[in-house]
Amino acid sequence: MNPVFRKVQTALAQALALSQASSACRVSSLIQHRVCGGPVAIDNRQYRTMPTHGIGKWKYLLPREAPKKKKDKLQMKQMVAATQTAYGTLNFKVSGYDMTLVEHYTQYIHNLCNRLDIKVSESYALPTKTTEVLLLPDQGTKMLVDAVLKTHERIIQVNSLNASLCPIFLDVLLKNQPEGVQLSVKEHSEADFQARFKARPELEGLMAQIGH
Amino acid sequence: MAAPCGRMASRYVIQFLSTFPRTTSRMIVGFRHFSSSCECRVAIKTKSVSEPVSPSPYRLAAAVCLQRLPVISADCAPLEQSFKDMMLQIELEKSLLSDHELRLIEDADRLRRKQAEDYDSDEEDSHMDQDIVLAQDLEDAWEQKFRNFQPAPRVRDDVDKELNSVQRCLTDSLVLVAEQTVGDQKLWLLPQTQWQEGETLRQTAERALASLPVGLKATFLGNAPCGVYKYKLPKPLRTENSLGTKVFFFKAILSDSSPSTPPNGGLLWLKKSELQGYLKPAYMMKVGQFIMDL
Repeated sequence: MNPVFRKVQTALAQALALSQASSACRVSSLIQHRVCGGPVAIDNRQYRTMPTHGIGKWKYLLPREAPKKKKDKLQMKQMVAATQTAYGTLNFKVSGYDMTLVEHYTQYIHNLCNRLDIKVSESYALPTKTTEVLLLPDQGTKMLVDAVLKTHERIIQVNSLNASLCPIFLDVLLKNQPEGVQLSVKEHSEADFQARFKARPELEGLMAQIGH
Repeated sequence: MAAPCGRMASRYVIQFLSTFPRTTSRMIVGFRHFSSSCECRVAIKTKSVSEPVSPSPYRLAAAVCLQRLPVISADCAPLEQSFKDMMLQIELEKSLLSDHELRLIEDADRLRRKQAEDYDSDEEDSHMDQDIVLAQDLEDAWEQKFRNFQPAPRVRDDVDKELNSVQRCLTDSLVLVAEQTVGDQKLWLLPQTQWQEGETLRQTAERALASLPVGLKATFLGNAPCGVYKYKLPKPLRTENSLGTKVFFFKAILSDSSPSTPPNGGLLWLKKSELQGYLKPAYMMKVGQFIMDL
């Protein structure tokens, strides 16, 4: 409100000083009309003393955020180091041909981790790999397409799994593993993270050129 | 369930890499293949000997709870079976037609149109040679292949009765129990050995497994024990230094057993319900706490 009224005041001053053109007079009259309530409001803002002043404000409650850049390069989440009593960042990879089984088993593992207070840092899927099974019949040389198999993979990343909880947790997982689903436990590495991204041949070509 | 740190050598957590696939082969009952390449970061720190630690009067031992996981899924209870049927039926009724089914319908339509009196082959939209292999023929060929396939029987009563065969009771998880001499008695218990200075309890458990007459390959699930059993010697035998033994149990999963398992009298594979008949009651109480019969 203030800047508006300041501008209005300067405009009014100018208008009064000039006191010539009719439009200016009309403007000044208008401004004068508005300013009547103005100085009173500027000097003692009555609404500040109202008990409900600032009742709708909420932005001050939020934590200060750094201004977000438009294009943020995807950073890898920090890998937790292994300690004497807990493992570091582990990857549970669930893979299989039947997508419903794989997904349900992954959900089961995730829910079990939530129950047992195991921190799940990430849960993502790797791209599906398609395998074509070709059969060579007894007569003839042409290979026949027998089946198309799709391998689905889901990964659950777990941080700082307690070493005493680990054998029990793994035992439960293995006993509830459905048929046709494979479970694999590995340590997370930078290479695993980078493998998720697509290769950019043009960029690599340019980098090679710069390098040479 | 932590091992006593006073006497234990503290070590870094060992990184392990293990894969657990399920194989369902026809003739040989498939075991889950485990490939664990342990890269032990070798840094076994032993506590400094300068402080006089009074040795515990208990002797330490480590035992291995070797389990063979179920190979096939258990049969459904009647209620589960009826629910499963109902869900499958609902899913079938709600589902859309697949590519193969669409093709079947198209072929049937085309055949009907061909057999009609006023058939003009130029009116056909698609000029692909779909007449050569009909979808129905494919389906017949697949049906034939399916009928030729003989799956192995799920429940084999004669093998189930042999208590020392690894391939009994494919739907349950089995625990290995060995008959060992403790003191002067022959007892049925999980394979165990004495702990020696300078080695970790898990290595003791691995030694216990290796000392069995039959070659069994196993993957240990972790470095922490899952259970402990304290045994106090009877009063007349107690001395200053040995009040009894504390046995720590480590879980392991059977990865591969040598195909020629000689019918050894000393080893049995038992389900949890059968364990009670062989183990001592106090021992069974402790062991039953960590053996899961899922």
